[in-house]
Amino acid sequence: MATAVHLEEITKRFPGVVANDDVDLEVERGTVHALLGENGAGKTTLMNVLYGLYEPTSGRVRLDDEVKSFDSPRDAIDAGVGMIHQHFMLVDPMTVTENITLGNEPRKWGGLAVDREAAREAVVELSARYGFDVDPDAPVEDVSVGEQQRVEILKALYRGADVLILDEPTAVLTPQEVEELFGVIEELTAQGKTIIFITHKLGEAMRAADEITVLRDGRNVGTVAADATTREELAELMVGREVLLDVDREPAQAGEVVASAADIVVEDERGVRAVDDVSFEVRAGEILGIAGVDGNGQAPLVEALTGIETPDAGEIRFLDEDVTSASRRERIASGMAYIPEDRQERGLVMDFGLIENALLGSQHSQEFGPGGRIDWPATREHAEAIIDEYDVRPPDPEAGAESLSGGNQQKFIVGREFERDPKLVVASHPTRGVDVGSIEFIHERLLELRRQGVAVLLVSSKLEEVQGLSDRLAVMYEGEFSGVVDPADTTEEELGLLMAGEQPDSVDERIDSGTEQTAAADSTGGEGA
Amino acid sequence: MSAADRARAVLTRLVEASAIERILISTAALVLSILIGTAIVLVAGRMTTCAATDAVYYLGTGFCYDPVVVFDRLFLGALGEPFSGNWSPDGQFAVTLRETTLLVFTGLSVAVAFRAGIFNIGTQGQMVVGAMATAVAVLWASSFVSGALGTVLLIPFGVLVGAVFGGLYGTLPGLLKAYADANEVITTIMLNFIATGVTLYLVSGPFKDPGSAANQTVPLPEFARFPSLLFGSRQDFSLVAFAIGILAIGGLYYVIEHTAFGYDVRTSGIQPEAAEYGGVDAAKTVVASLTLSGALGGVAGAMYVMMILGTFQTGLPSYGFDGITVSILAGNNPLGVGVAALLFGILKSGTTVVQFATDVPPQLVGVLRGLIILFVAMPEFFRLLGRRLSPSGPERNPVATDGGRREGETDE
Repeated sequence: MATAVHLEEITKRFPGVVANDDVDLEVERGTVHALLGENGAGKTTLMNVLYGLYEPTSGRVRLDDEVKSFDSPRDAIDAGVGMIHQHFMLVDPMTVTENITLGNEPRKWGGLAVDREAAREAVVELSARYGFDVDPDAPVEDVSVGEQQRVEILKALYRGADVLILDEPTAVLTPQEVEELFGVIEELTAQGKTIIFITHKLGEAMRAADEITVLRDGRNVGTVAADATTREELAELMVGREVLLDVDREPAQAGEVVASAADIVVEDERGVRAVDDVSFEVRAGEILGIAGVDGNGQAPLVEALTGIETPDAGEIRFLDEDVTSASRRERIASGMAYIPEDRQERGLVMDFGLIENALLGSQHSQEFGPGGRIDWPATREHAEAIIDEYDVRPPDPEAGAESLSGGNQQKFIVGREFERDPKLVVASHPTRGVDVGSIEFIHERLLELRRQGVAVLLVSSKLEEVQGLSDRLAVMYEGEFSGVVDPADTTEEELGLLMAGEQPDSVDERIDSGTEQTAAADSTGGEGA
Repeated sequence: MSAADRARAVLTRLVEASAIERILISTAALVLSILIGTAIVLVAGRMTTCAATDAVYYLGTGFCYDPVVVFDRLFLGALGEPFSGNWSPDGQFAVTLRETTLLVFTGLSVAVAFRAGIFNIGTQGQMVVGAMATAVAVLWASSFVSGALGTVLLIPFGVLVGAVFGGLYGTLPGLLKAYADANEVITTIMLNFIATGVTLYLVSGPFKDPGSAANQTVPLPEFARFPSLLFGSRQDFSLVAFAIGILAIGGLYYVIEHTAFGYDVRTSGIQPEAAEYGGVDAAKTVVASLTLSGALGGVAGAMYVMMILGTFQTGLPSYGFDGITVSILAGNNPLGVGVAALLFGILKSGTTVVQFATDVPPQLVGVLRGLIILFVAMPEFFRLLGRRLSPSGPERNPVATDGGRREGETDE
């Protein structure tokens, strides 16, 4: 087989850092090549070099054995390289056809007008050739996320791409849509296209790829055939040491209800109910998981619970008090810790050092801000303790938050929140964009808190995470709980269906009992879980 | 490395520059601006006609204006001839310190709002309101006390009145921003006009000094004015006011760096979402910081009345607007405001010296002044800009999904 893409000794430096260090990568024509690595390993940088977004500091890009030099993605596209980013670059109100042909529309009348008929035909023909299921006339905003992704792929194909780079393509998809995507990938390679896909999920790399290249700290640490490796081997390559993939956990010792929400409604700016009548309770010593595809109301629900937003209706109780309209500051003071979804927007002040960030949320506390005056020495000690205890690197309290890698930023936030001595921890995507080693660490800490009798609300779009950690698992779809299930006897497929808003027959019964439990507990305050 | 990469690297360097580096950069900028100013003075001198005896000769070419004299007057003149051997405290140096004192307050006023992420253009209006209130209140109170006791009581009273009224006038746009989502740039500009208009009405009607043709209040008695210790009374400068200014710098620095309120202000200023997460009440912080900002502007007004003019008159000089420049020059740092206000004070007072000592037209001196400020402020300006543009700036894309990395993010 011929080599379609050959990256030779690629080094990419940014001021002060080496993102890619002498990386070699060879991809055979007509195969799927997974680029696997932790967050910050240099995967996306490497692909941005191939796609012409970055100029490599040194090294060569060869396509079909020919050395290429791309000044911009435009050159890369002309050379047959297409990239599908994590965030789709589609114009929502325009139709599928318009999006696919945008910028390269077939012309008529001597180039003066767009030949819509020809465009539509081209799209129909293209999607038929690869067996894609897309409606050429639907506005993009009306089609599913999976279909939008196919539109992105078609757009690249329409521009003549032979090599397709997919950046974390499964992050936004339901399990069913992931399967569909893998079908699409198979079809594409069958017809001679070459696929490089970036992921940090071991399972996906093994499932979909022919070959897997693992990047660590910007270096290629090994290329292996997918059918000749194991999850454990890949994890070890990624992290550089052995990793425990399964969470060990004893049964819950659920105690008193710590926090509860009753009939919560949160409306977005347009008045649409982002959270529609949701009720739940979390008990001491248990982890309540909330699963769901992103954007189904998890974020506004968490913000209402933690006091960032005020719900439009419903009641939130915390430690037997109505806190529905309590301020965020009051909630922090009464023992509510919150690991926010977006660490760089909310969780940390990026321009502050770690000492000042250790204070965030405690600036009015007796411990660090008695009488409105900040006790900086105590804050410094606190920051040092977090850094030490949670293995934040570099271990420098003066370091700016922005200089830390994503995983270390997250560990610092987790440390700060857990050290509040909380009664309730609301963890929103606590391991998002975090490397495997830190994920393991954060999971252990969450279980440790649970053991100590802390109530935990865990929101995540990673199924294996919520399934592995939760004692009870609610699935959220379009602002409502489509089910509350016992994660231990629910399959991934059933959860996938719930996440897509469908009710699998097999879990109907358990859902019913789940909601009844919550309802009963609301009215009586009695036994629930 | 492409040109864009290089530019980005320079910005990153600026953003990460330490305090010492920044002082060095500012000094270099000052020198550079003087060099360019020299060239401009020389060129302008060539384009003017003057008597051969008035001209100076460099490299055999005659110039009408001598840049050495111009810059000598601008700086040494403003400092009251420190090397002449007969330096006296009530000379031009007192004028420089007088200007500096007022600029310290207006600079701090703008800086504290800036730190909270609020662009308070209304310092001028807050100063006008504070000045008017002080003039009226102190005049009223001066009928109850007199002599040294009067001075001891009335000075703090007047400063307090200025602070309260200036503060209230700052609360107004604060409330509008916090609870009605009104842009503070618009409201504070408009409130400047309102302040000018209303005080003009008051001072030409109800509070007009019947014994004066000008629109002004009855002058304050001498004991109700800042005492001119050490520096003589010729230049309307008081060491007491200056000392209050120094205290204000230290106090504000302490508030911003060492109190929970200051932490709230700074956090809201650079990352409002994180402040919200950290339990900062955004609305209260906006109102409080604009009130504090207004109070500092009001104190500047009180000083103007009780130290310089002795009465309230319409048409206050634009110390409030100069405060914006001072604050930017200082990187919105209270300690830096002291230095920037001194530089600005030197330039303001030096300008008059240059006009007395040379034939250089005042417009040209204005150009030189502008050049110096432009050059010194520019690195700071690029620093602020760089924070937004450079890879390490706070303005980043939201964290994406698993393994998501923003473009330009660096790996460890």
